[in-house]
Amino acid sequence: MIKLYDYVLSVNCYKQRLMMSILDVAYETVPVDFFPGWEHKGEEFKKINPLGHIPVIDDDGYILWDAHAILVYLAARYDPSGRWYPTGDPGLLGETASWMLFAEGTTNTASAARLCVNLGYDFDLEACQAGAHRLFRVLDEHLWFREREGREWVCSGAHPTIADIALFPDVVLSEEGGISRLDYPALRRWTDRVKRIPGFEGMPGIFPASPGL
Amino acid sequence: MTQVTADPFTLWHPVASAHDVPYRHVHHGQLLGRELAVWRADDDYVNVWENRCLHRGVRLSIGMNDGTELRCQYHGWRYANRSAGCTYIPAHPADAPARTICNRTFASVERYGLVWSGEDPVGDPPTVEVLEAGTPFGLRNLPVNASAELAVQHLRDHRFLPSARLGSDPAGSAGSAEMSVDGAGDYSVVLTSRAGGAQSTAVFFVQPVDSGRCVIRGVLAETPAPSEQAAVLRHHAVELNRLVARIEAEAARLPAPEPMVPVLQQVPLHLAEVPEAPAGRQAALRVQVRRKWETAAGVAAFELVPITGVLPTFQPGAHIDVHLPNGLVRQYSITNGPGETSYYRLGVKLEPDSTGGSVCLHETVREGDVLAISEPRNNFPLRRDSMRTILLAGGIGITPLLAMAQSLDRMSLAFELHCFAQSAEHTAFSDVLDRLGESVVRHLGLPPDETVAEIRRLVAAHDEFTHLYVCGPGPMLEAARREAAAAGWSDDHVHFEYFKNTTEIDDSSTFEVALARSALTVTVLSGSTILEVLREQGVPLPSSCEQGACGTCVATVLEGEPDHQDVYLNDSDHEAGDRIMTCVSRALSDRLVLDL
Repeated sequence: MIKLYDYVLSVNCYKQRLMMSILDVAYETVPVDFFPGWEHKGEEFKKINPLGHIPVIDDDGYILWDAHAILVYLAARYDPSGRWYPTGDPGLLGETASWMLFAEGTTNTASAARLCVNLGYDFDLEACQAGAHRLFRVLDEHLWFREREGREWVCSGAHPTIADIALFPDVVLSEEGGISRLDYPALRRWTDRVKRIPGFEGMPGIFPASPGL
Repeated sequence: MTQVTADPFTLWHPVASAHDVPYRHVHHGQLLGRELAVWRADDDYVNVWENRCLHRGVRLSIGMNDGTELRCQYHGWRYANRSAGCTYIPAHPADAPARTICNRTFASVERYGLVWSGEDPVGDPPTVEVLEAGTPFGLRNLPVNASAELAVQHLRDHRFLPSARLGSDPAGSAGSAEMSVDGAGDYSVVLTSRAGGAQSTAVFFVQPVDSGRCVIRGVLAETPAPSEQAAVLRHHAVELNRLVARIEAEAARLPAPEPMVPVLQQVPLHLAEVPEAPAGRQAALRVQVRRKWETAAGVAAFELVPITGVLPTFQPGAHIDVHLPNGLVRQYSITNGPGETSYYRLGVKLEPDSTGGSVCLHETVREGDVLAISEPRNNFPLRRDSMRTILLAGGIGITPLLAMAQSLDRMSLAFELHCFAQSAEHTAFSDVLDRLGESVVRHLGLPPDETVAEIRRLVAAHDEFTHLYVCGPGPMLEAARREAAAAGWSDDHVHFEYFKNTTEIDDSSTFEVALARSALTVTVLSGSTILEVLREQGVPLPSSCEQGACGTCVATVLEGEPDHQDVYLNDSDHEAGDRIMTCVSRALSDRLVLDL
């Protein structure tokens, strides 16, 4: 069974829990005392991941770190429909990769702001917040036009991809980093849609959506 | 510089675009510094509310819109479509929330694909001739980090291309178009673009979000052909983004204005204090019969709509007093499901031995008539914390249970609604029952003994997480209570509502009643009731049915032994003796002390 080195309040760990819950993949978590113990920076943990960060998965001895890389692996390995990581459709796969890189940006701004506020990280909070607003503006406009095309997800396909999973936690917890989503109504509507994906599960700070029509 | 001439707090402003409020979503808005929760109910009414739950001030924009009610994420308080009244408090599952628990609402009108509201708007939302005459087409709205005034000023120099020029050249430059400002207000600009024989007019409304923030909401006067819409939307998005960049660059050079501080409404004094109980039977509302129809053999249904304003919030199980043209006052349950807040729907059975109530409603009251009714009162509240709810309806006893079933269904809580009726033709509101699907079980044409046997079967299995609600004719209700008791149900899991009290009232006793709070002692002589005597002494007590069935005139007993003659309280309540129905019950002891 997959082992997930996990911290319950980490957005990047949550991305894996969410993906595995949606794909109905059984896993067990190994809690890492991320805060206040900084266990991921300790010598023991660095034997698992020398970079000293979480999440890390151990799938029967196959070790992988980096949140967005793990999403690629999980979808490629455990989604027989091939829709979450659309390797069969080069155009869609390119879009997915592009938005996964965009999600690195939201992680480094919106989620970094959250680490400053919640866990006292010494980042430039204002720069993180301003960066997140810049990206959210782009994403809101993108999603608004998707809606006009009759599409619901970040990529142009009819089915969500791992890009939605990579972006969702950074976006939906942004207010914990002092980044209001009041100016991004299309982004807010998209978070409702992600919450309605069968198998969706939340984490502290993420509330469920009402049932859709 | 554009001069702001009108008080923005008295104007209508757009607070959302129609596409911002799809079903089952809560839009997070802001106007003049005040945050708003904007949500569309399944009946298409768009609610514009203060964005804070009355309970702990949590933003309602993170709440859940279930199509009929908005549920706060923190403690689950539920608020009704339109009225914003609280319908359920999970921490008090057995109690009906007071009608006065109500969120602040703001005006709401949909026009030109925008939702219009305001702090204290005067008159109607603005009408714009080119949009009235045209086929309005909404552009993407853009948030701007600048004041509305600055945005309006820059919008006068905004450029775009006519829609007809975009099909061939979506990347065309707006620089070649001839622009004219056809109109401008404090918060809007009308622009026309002419190029190559084509022209398009657009109205740009600017929503003042806060002193230093606004949203530009553009509406084209004419809807482009479907094949051209994507190019038109892209073109305007590009041009507006350029405009926004210019506005924000200028705003960044200006001193940042202080954010606006919205005035949060204080709880009115009359709500902060212990409310004064109204004396007598109040008929505070006037409603019009919008529709009257036969919903089953001998059962007339009525839809009552407000003459002005919004109807007060009701909860499942609630009833109203209807003051009839012939002077009688009768109680009828509200059958509506959650969110059906624009009317009250009642079902009235014609009673062969009617004393004039049902006959009057059946024969005299017609569509268009005005009736006086009381505000809803809920003495038959529905718990929403059971794992399973069994509803037993006998005949017209379906009415309160129909409201309950619809609430449970909406909340995806397990329930069974058993309808006992003579035949399918005698089953009221079949259309609503059909929508409830397999949770509804019809028991048609059973003779009394088989009805009892069926009830016995239905109540046989139960646990502490199952609750039973019964409404129907006296004998059926008695049977249900008896069978439930025999099956080991505890009294506090069995809830019932009688149509009327058929107990023969013995009013021969004479006793003294002392009022602990009012420091008043009165004597109740045989032939009069506690309620009557207290009213004569000026002690106000609410009442409704005045026959010991509805529970409205309840008083708390501090000392003395009540002589219960009501059918509202259950056997455990009667035994405990700490509450009394003042309209029919009396005293076995010489003296009663009431907490009044």
